[in-house]
Amino acid sequence: MHKVEHIRNFSIIAHIDHGKSTIADRILDLTETISQRERRDQVLDDMDLEREKGITIKSKAVRLLYNAENGHQYIFNLIDTPGHVDFSYEVSRSLAACEGALLIIDAAQGVQAQTIANIQMALENNLSIIIIINKIDLSTANPNKVKEEIKKIEGLKDSPVFLTSAKDGRGIKEVMEAIVKYIPYPRGVINNPLQALIFDSIYNSYQGSIVYLRIVNGEIKPGMKIQTMSNQKTYEVNEIGVFTPKRKKVSQLSVGEVGYLAAGFKDVSLTKVGDTITDANNPSEKRLPGYKKVSPVVFCSIYPVENEDYQNLKYALDKLSLNDSSISYIAENSPALGFGFRCGFLGLLHMEIIQERLEREYQIQLIATTPSVVYRVHLKNKQVVEINNPSSLPEVNNIDYVEEPFIKLTVVLPSQFLGGIMELVQDRRGVFQNLEYLDQDRARLIYNLPLNEIMLDFYDKVKSISKGYASIDYQISSYQTSPLTKVDILVNQEVVDNLSFISHKDKAHLRARKLVENLKTVIPRQMFDVPIQAKINQKIIARSTVRALKKDVLAKCYGGDITRKRKLLEKQKAGKKRMKKVGRVEIPQEAFMSVLKVD
Amino acid sequence: MNISLYIHIPFCNSKCPYCDFYSIVPDDEALKENYLDALKREIIIYSQKYPQINIQSIYIGGGTPTVLKGQQIFEIIQTCFDKFNVNKEIEVTIESNPESFNYDKAQNIFESGINRISIGAQSFNNKLLESIGRIHDKHAIIKSYQIARDIGFNNINIDLMFGLPGQSVIQFMKTLEKAILLHPEHISIYSLSVEPKTIFSKLFKKGTLNIPSDDIVYEMYKNAITILQDNEYEQYEISNFSIQKKECFHNIRYWKNCPYLGVGASAVSYIEKNRYKNISDVNKYTYFLKHNILPVETKEVLPLKEEMSETVILNLRMMEGIAKQDFINRFNVPIESIFGKQLSYLKENKLIESNDSHYFLTERGIFISNTVFVEFLN
Repeated sequence: MHKVEHIRNFSIIAHIDHGKSTIADRILDLTETISQRERRDQVLDDMDLEREKGITIKSKAVRLLYNAENGHQYIFNLIDTPGHVDFSYEVSRSLAACEGALLIIDAAQGVQAQTIANIQMALENNLSIIIIINKIDLSTANPNKVKEEIKKIEGLKDSPVFLTSAKDGRGIKEVMEAIVKYIPYPRGVINNPLQALIFDSIYNSYQGSIVYLRIVNGEIKPGMKIQTMSNQKTYEVNEIGVFTPKRKKVSQLSVGEVGYLAAGFKDVSLTKVGDTITDANNPSEKRLPGYKKVSPVVFCSIYPVENEDYQNLKYALDKLSLNDSSISYIAENSPALGFGFRCGFLGLLHMEIIQERLEREYQIQLIATTPSVVYRVHLKNKQVVEINNPSSLPEVNNIDYVEEPFIKLTVVLPSQFLGGIMELVQDRRGVFQNLEYLDQDRARLIYNLPLNEIMLDFYDKVKSISKGYASIDYQISSYQTSPLTKVDILVNQEVVDNLSFISHKDKAHLRARKLVENLKTVIPRQMFDVPIQAKINQKIIARSTVRALKKDVLAKCYGGDITRKRKLLEKQKAGKKRMKKVGRVEIPQEAFMSVLKVD
Repeated sequence: MNISLYIHIPFCNSKCPYCDFYSIVPDDEALKENYLDALKREIIIYSQKYPQINIQSIYIGGGTPTVLKGQQIFEIIQTCFDKFNVNKEIEVTIESNPESFNYDKAQNIFESGINRISIGAQSFNNKLLESIGRIHDKHAIIKSYQIARDIGFNNINIDLMFGLPGQSVIQFMKTLEKAILLHPEHISIYSLSVEPKTIFSKLFKKGTLNIPSDDIVYEMYKNAITILQDNEYEQYEISNFSIQKKECFHNIRYWKNCPYLGVGASAVSYIEKNRYKNISDVNKYTYFLKHNILPVETKEVLPLKEEMSETVILNLRMMEGIAKQDFINRFNVPIESIFGKQLSYLKENKLIESNDSHYFLTERGIFISNTVFVEFLN
């Protein structure tokens, strides 16, 4: 057994594409325990989606043995964290399981919004930060400029800086020694009651939820009775072990160690990230700090394109939530779209990932409605209700006021794009907070704005305005009162609930007009005129009309054509079948997406 | 067995960018000769396979049948008359294109027993003709029409297209007037449809094919019906108009869903509830027949349900509509017991009407006939 003085627990934090995976690879090269073949699975993100999007969704851990120059062998526990703002709580808990962090910055691209967010989180968890300026092999690398940028960031004064090229291996050995030298060993008391921090868990069909944990105090052994402190439930430890990266059973985990635990947890909702595991017979008095219940921030409705797929969709959501307790879903029924689910997610990316997984892994074609934030509605009778679906906004007469979530948005960008980005954010109801220059031509911009305003094509706009050079990050800051109003859409005099939206009063008219015009182009002409109207309360604020179908004729149909012409008609019929009938009007599924396209 | 005969000539002097019928531009005479030999063999095989058939009408289409020599056309018809039981009085049509039609050829055609000519005019506007890839001008149309008349044809059709790229309503009306001035017995008007895999479809996808909007095409069609009717051309099918008793008998048999035999590359046959399609490749077609093998590429067996749907849809294309008694005679059940729901739904929406004997499209139903037809599909 290793002494606790020879354990180092650390994370690698980086902006997307700054070289996190390759640095990890190089570190593995200089340690024992991993064969080439196993490595690929562990170190690279293994879900297709993770690889494509360059992000980690689940945390991972790997235990490495490093023979330092001082002659001692060290245990390195490298914890890989989800890299996106949607998962910032998960990231913060993973960081809480560490004493140090390797902060990687691309030598050519410099500090990015996510870099700053990551630094702040690491500092909040009192981690020792080792700065790595990577990709110095690039011809565009400018490490000195990056060093200047770093100086401007608070809290990094004492952090050592290393220059590396993960590609050719330069500087990696120095980083390894720095891990030994600068990152403190875990402090904890073995004789205290057990406190272990859950920083992730994955579902396994044989063992249920397998918890990833860090022992803070005490120790844990198989057969022990343990308790999850958030809900006081008791379990018996079946198996504990470490990641080599394959799970390898051990007979005990002690102070400072990182490993896994299986105790017959039915699913991951019982093993919440940030929760504390303690000894049921000798419980700790206090939970580890920082636990919170994560609740979904973004909601949308998901319906199967084919009604028959409803059961499959339910099954798929059940399955996905076994491994991701942050998804919420409640069955709902819409006259227009049939049976589906109102789903909650941690953020837009999380939503996108789940939608893609449903379509890709479960082969269910989906219609997803416009995402909505959670509104806090204060009623005149002093009740407060939270709604996540515009159509369920209470009667306007009963509403005192409505609050919506605001975010603190950080944009890091070349200063030539400042004007364009500021204009965009102002249009999205942004309130300027701060501007700092990172160096001569790069700035950090901070705005306060409603979360709702970044729901639709905000990322794309930022990218196109800044030619891809701006990076953004945000965190939810507070709920604030806004003059909001609900707009209902009527198709042929009937309200189509899935098309309703909530908007700032000043923007409602324009958005309603655009949507109504949009729908006009998406809804095919029917046998009669179809009026499309937008209304606030009882007042119509925008209208358009889909004129009755005038011409739908196949000019030629002779002997040789019949089969083909029939197939054309069959196609037309199939297209009709896929449309959703609201009253007498057939509405294609794109209509429900077209709400998304209204800027 | 009463049957119609279709003969496909898959050759053209140049390919039109909107056309998706199978045809090639032949590079030598031998190709055509070999093809005609194969065609004759196919006719002979069928005449032996179905000795009981009785030809009700013949239609030579393409491609451009008039790219053949007059003598070659003569021989094809000769073969048909020799090998099949053919009533001398039947309608025999040939499609002709103005650029490949001359007096001598017309003479041969007339003498072969062909008694109806369909001229692929498409437009009387030279600019439009050029833009849709036609290699003739309006004078060639008029000239070939006159030749046909002079030789003695008393049943001539003029094919016109509308909804062409850049075409205005007025332009089409002018074309229509010029056609009417020639006094053909029959006029067909087809709205352009962009067919997959054609050059037009590529342009359409690129967004460079400037076709008129549905509303304009609707205006063209609507006005055309009025003008033609004012000039004694009665609409008897969605795209077809004729003076009295000069309806195309061959095509009416298609719309009554009667059996037909199609010979030639890519031709389709409908015999005994099966639909066969010949291979769409002149060389393979010729090769198969050299070995006395029928060059069938696909066979489609039509289930009763589909036969019923098709019968209704095809008949409804005709203004007369579908005869209730014909349906009973063919399927032994009244049409209402199969399609009662659809018929009453369409009647409610004023897309079809009925009288004692028939169901037929209303004026509105004609314009959106596809919307009507899809109701009859399973």
